[in-house]
Amino acid sequence: MNGFLRTEVLSKRFGDTIALERLSFAVEQGEILALLGPSGSGKTTTLRLLAGFEAPDAGRVWLDGEDITSLPPARRRSGMVFQHYALFPHLDVGDNVAFGLGKRGKGEGGSVSQRVRGALELVQLAGFERRKVQQLSGGQQQRVALARALAPEPRVLLLDEPLSNLDPTLRERTRRELRQLIKRVGITSVFVTHEQEEAFDLGDRVAVLRDGRLEQLGTPDELYERPRTLFVATFVGRANVLRDEVAQAFGGKPGEVVVVRPERLQFSAQGLAGVVRERRYTGASAFYSVEARDATLRLEVQARPDAAAIGDTVHLEATGVLAFPDERGVATP
Amino acid sequence: MKRRADVVGWVVVALLAWMVAYPILIVGREAARESAIIAFARRPAEWQVLWASIWISLASVALAAAIGIPLAFLFTRVEFPGSRLLGALIALPAVLPPLVGVIAFLFLYGESGFVARGVQALLRLDHSPWHLQGAGAILLVHAYSMYVYFYLLTRAGLARIDGSMIEAAQALGASRWRTLRRVTLPLLRPALAGAALLTFMTALGSFSAPYVFGGGFRVMPTQIVASKLNGDLPRAMVETVALALVALVALSLLQRTEGQATLVALGKGTAPAPRVLVGGRGLVTTAAWALAVVLLLPHFTLLLISLVPYATWTTETLPPVLNLDNYRRLFAESDRLEPLVNSLWMALVATAASLVIALAAAWLTVRRRVRPRRIIESLMVLPWALPGTVFALALATAFSVQRPLGLRWVLVGTSAILPLAYLVRSLPLAGRAVLAGYRQLDPALEEAAAILGAGRWRTLWRVTVPLLRPSLAAGASLAFVTALGDFVTSIVLYTYNTRPISIEILSSLRLNELGIAAAFGVLLMTVSAVALLLGSRTEAWS
Repeated sequence: MNGFLRTEVLSKRFGDTIALERLSFAVEQGEILALLGPSGSGKTTTLRLLAGFEAPDAGRVWLDGEDITSLPPARRRSGMVFQHYALFPHLDVGDNVAFGLGKRGKGEGGSVSQRVRGALELVQLAGFERRKVQQLSGGQQQRVALARALAPEPRVLLLDEPLSNLDPTLRERTRRELRQLIKRVGITSVFVTHEQEEAFDLGDRVAVLRDGRLEQLGTPDELYERPRTLFVATFVGRANVLRDEVAQAFGGKPGEVVVVRPERLQFSAQGLAGVVRERRYTGASAFYSVEARDATLRLEVQARPDAAAIGDTVHLEATGVLAFPDERGVATP
Repeated sequence: MKRRADVVGWVVVALLAWMVAYPILIVGREAARESAIIAFARRPAEWQVLWASIWISLASVALAAAIGIPLAFLFTRVEFPGSRLLGALIALPAVLPPLVGVIAFLFLYGESGFVARGVQALLRLDHSPWHLQGAGAILLVHAYSMYVYFYLLTRAGLARIDGSMIEAAQALGASRWRTLRRVTLPLLRPALAGAALLTFMTALGSFSAPYVFGGGFRVMPTQIVASKLNGDLPRAMVETVALALVALVALSLLQRTEGQATLVALGKGTAPAPRVLVGGRGLVTTAAWALAVVLLLPHFTLLLISLVPYATWTTETLPPVLNLDNYRRLFAESDRLEPLVNSLWMALVATAASLVIALAAAWLTVRRRVRPRRIIESLMVLPWALPGTVFALALATAFSVQRPLGLRWVLVGTSAILPLAYLVRSLPLAGRAVLAGYRQLDPALEEAAAILGAGRWRTLWRVTVPLLRPSLAAGASLAFVTALGDFVTSIVLYTYNTRPISIEILSSLRLNELGIAAAFGVLLMTVSAVALLLGSRTEAWS
């Protein structure tokens, strides 16, 4: 396996719980990889192993052809943005950013202060050097954390839920700006998130983790259109999970589980009969909750806003289904 | 990496065990002699002394609670002119080191003190109207100096109570009295149990008051020192072990009550607003100010006596001459300056050492979570659980023989023994402050430093220590004040060359140089107050 940053069969246990089991993946130079998974899936542990805060029980980590498995964090030349930013409250913005620029103090040569200014310009906080970090807004703190991580020109950038601390209204914009910035710098990045939308929006590729194992690694399109497991199919995007006769009615073989996305279901003249119980309007379309099979089954349908009304009796057909051989767990997002 | 931290952890365990546990074990072994134990058990006087220690401590708890709890309610719940200032002043007995408080009481209420002289002059008596001696005098000093524990802890407890709980009780139709009994007091139980424990342990270990005011009335700490000074070492050992056992039994009993009552308030909430007093305002204000005067009288007395030059005050009610002569002598006469210098350097060394150990212990137990973390924490608090006399005796016993193979060296008589004793005594204070601070420190901050390329030492100096500054300052000030004012271990372990201020105060008293003793007391009080103020004012990084 090639790759600029690479893990080889990483395993880690905490006491009796298995945090990671034989995890292998590779990140190309300049690529952004999202680690996506529910809590307890091992994504944060993976990031901490990449940073060097934890040592793996087995396996190796390679960076730029160098085995860094047993290198302490201080010597890995990685940058990290922490979930709560971990800005040093006793230092101002400039000193925070300068912290990683070696022991040379301020004033000695122009280079440190120049690099601090450069890093702050990168995140559009030029002139903020002497501000106290407590005076900054959440979004500004996040950008200072980013500037601090990037200032020493690390080989890889690690981000732990970088947007979770922001206002929901701010999140989407910041997400786009963050991606643009990382791409401009061209740094290889790995970030952790539990939100599918964030992973798809920010990552070039996404690694879906579950119980310390890698379920699937691929581009957002691959994960959504061609999920390899039932878990990925249900964790990534909305999904109707069908079993037994219903599954077979939608084209599944005996013993198979069938997953149908809401937008792949449509109202038609024939097919599975049901009654519309709820309608959630989202503008471009609406989500309909359809009760079928004597109220033992509920299906979510995405269709035009005027496709049906509450109380209507409808028939459902699928335009595309995903079938999985067994029932190895459904994600409950 | 984890294993290396474990090794460091065991090294710290060994160091702490050598300083804290080993001397106690040596005393225990020395005491385990049949003849000495039988002699102890057969002497009714010993049982009387042990019982006196217990009942004096229990009575101190009752008195301190009776004063401290109502005051805490008054100053938290009622607002009147000057209530804020008084609320702060009322904690002032805390800045009096034990021996200094005792001599202030001597000058104030003693048989030739101001109050006695005043009464004598007023009633035209030929001699002093009373002797300040025995159990009553000890309890008076204890009540005065220990109500502060109840006062401060009750106020802290009241501040934590969610005001909406009180309001909920009232909305449910509970009367003021019922709310107090059914809601407020149960919620305060952990705070009150903590205060009771603190008071009991302090009273049990109290030495200065019984030493100066006891007369024929002995408690175990004074009894132990008397046995030691009489050269009856086996007896002193058995007595020490008996006192230590009482302390440990009391600790486990009281901690159990505290542990059962872990009532956690749900939600943050705000404390109820103080009631602005309308009716009876004048009465409460006058009473509160009168109380403040009573509380501050010892401080003023000390200050006044320190201005009375030697042999200028004999039978007059008030001293006729006041000047700064005593202070001048204190700094001009080298053998007076010496104890001052001794106390300062010994307290500073002990404080610095206890901070270093506390920081290492905090790092090992909180951050690295090394295997022996529980042992480290227990060893750090052990000196708090045992009276000072016990440790004084233990150190005197352990370090008076040269047995390098048994890790025992002759330190008694050298200038190392008192700093060591102060260090042991101040470990729990520094340890508690620094450990609590470290627990609140976000581990991501140290990780951020590490990933930015900072090594362990740079992270320590540039991140951990600056962020822990409030906790370090608080721990340092408490450790320093305790060491500076120490009397109980000093009297057992001092040598002439290393005599600290408290010993010099005592010898000045014996020579009837009251002014000098008071001037030393004022200095101790001032330095303690400044240190405590600095320690509590160091601002946290929010």
